[in-house]
Amino acid sequence: MTRLRLGFIALNDAASLIVADTKGFFAAEGLDVDLVREVSWATMRDKMSVGALDGAHMLSPAALAITLGASGGEPTPLVAPFALNLNGPAITLSSRLAGALDTGTSAEGLARLIAWRRTEGASPLTLAVVFPFSTHNYLLRDWLARAGVDPDRDVRLTVAPPARMTELLVGGVVEGFCVTEPWDSAAEAAGAGLIAARGGQLWPRTPDKVFTVTEAWAEANPQVLQALLRALLKAAAWADAPENRDELVALLAAPQHVGADADVIRRSLADMIFHSGGANRPEPIHAGWLAAQMMRWGHLPADLDIAALARRIYRPDLFGEAATAAGLSLPPPLEPLKGYSTAGEFRLADARRHAAQGPLSRIVGA
Amino acid sequence: MRVLVVDPDPARAALVAEGLAGVKPLEVRHAAMFDEREAAVFGPDVIVVASDSPDRDTIDSLRESTAANPRPVVMFVDRSEPGLAEQAVLAGVSAYVVDGLSAARVRSVLEVAMSRFQLMNGLRQDLEKAKADLASRKTVERAKALLMKERGLDEDAAYKLLRKLSMDTGRPLGAVAADLLAFAGVLKGGGS
Repeated sequence: MTRLRLGFIALNDAASLIVADTKGFFAAEGLDVDLVREVSWATMRDKMSVGALDGAHMLSPAALAITLGASGGEPTPLVAPFALNLNGPAITLSSRLAGALDTGTSAEGLARLIAWRRTEGASPLTLAVVFPFSTHNYLLRDWLARAGVDPDRDVRLTVAPPARMTELLVGGVVEGFCVTEPWDSAAEAAGAGLIAARGGQLWPRTPDKVFTVTEAWAEANPQVLQALLRALLKAAAWADAPENRDELVALLAAPQHVGADADVIRRSLADMIFHSGGANRPEPIHAGWLAAQMMRWGHLPADLDIAALARRIYRPDLFGEAATAAGLSLPPPLEPLKGYSTAGEFRLADARRHAAQGPLSRIVGA
Repeated sequence: MRVLVVDPDPARAALVAEGLAGVKPLEVRHAAMFDEREAAVFGPDVIVVASDSPDRDTIDSLRESTAANPRPVVMFVDRSEPGLAEQAVLAGVSAYVVDGLSAARVRSVLEVAMSRFQLMNGLRQDLEKAKADLASRKTVERAKALLMKERGLDEDAAYKLLRKLSMDTGRPLGAVAADLLAFAGVLKGGGS
């Protein structure tokens, strides 16, 4: 048996890791996995950098930032050979705020409220995301910017732990947040918030978490990596199968996994995709889209070669080997991305143009 | 120098604070949760944070949002000593410092925090082991009593039988005793 330490954060999208561990898919591939729950992405990053973890559940933009060293510390090149989920992030506003909006919870209503508050001299609203380099930060920024709200000037963006979001809403510390399920549905169930928009409404089949290992580890352990990917593929298929839904809900609800109410988890899984439609193949175009968002907001240098970065980190070739071994047939690679950008279809080759043409882009003279 | 220790484990935080108080004339405060407003009032030069604190991402992000940030915070990574940051990660502690603070001063704080974290981890492990030992001893006593009653053995003979079972099966004495008790329970429950 090969011993491995893998890290996860308490979110629905850790499902395939949790299933592979508890349902014996890792063991069936000869892997003795110690699945460790971490409570912050920063610790996950640090443990990956020093080799205290062999693999990690990871925010896609964090994988890009950690590779470049943009997230603090020395650059640690990561590879993402497996996508854990599509859909799952959502934008939730406090019930208080949602009640004050004349047009429900759309960003246009929020934009009017923010403009009104400014004329009244009120302090800017505070909204939380889970990590600076997260799908959530960029999804929330895009949602705000499309309605003309400047995320750096018109609101105050802060970072808070996912499991504490409801408490922060109730306490009035934040007025809204963008986080992956089940923490949006949990806020709704507690009567503290209302889901204003789901990720898939802005970015269809929203790319969210990936499974990552370091580039060095992938090169040194190609066979172990393939065994891991085969186990994850089987676990992901299991997690998506309707007949396993009851058991999946119970697994996720367990206190050592996500630790949330089972009914909330069941509801919050509704639009999440763990496997179907080739969801597990890491699509470089997804990494490119997220990198373009990072560039748009000035979080990556404007001269960075996005296509090269996306193809270095997202590795459909490594995934394809495992998929072929599992006898899986895959749809053709995803390109272009449709329905994401207000500047038309998104292709890797013109990522920089999209970064510059996104509303309120920080790129000057594009 | 002001040090803020953020640790959800109050006992460990107190241990770190106590250790730091002995090192230098400095002000140490500990909090189970990070509160940005309280932190801004205190104005720490160093924030020591446990890696099992859910507030780590909040503290980690402060250097990203400089406009709203009370103090510029950077994660402590001493490039001249690459092993130190690694040891800190493995010990479960990290430090965030105000830019410009001398590396030597930060290092002494981090070293104290690391040693206290390791001390606490050691104590916790010893406690767990002591608890397990105690539970195992109780199980062995009960299994011994069962053998004495059911087989009419004296205490010494009952113990020797358990030890023989343990050696024959290569399993700990406590596990053998637990199996015996469980088995006896099944026989009682299902049989006569």
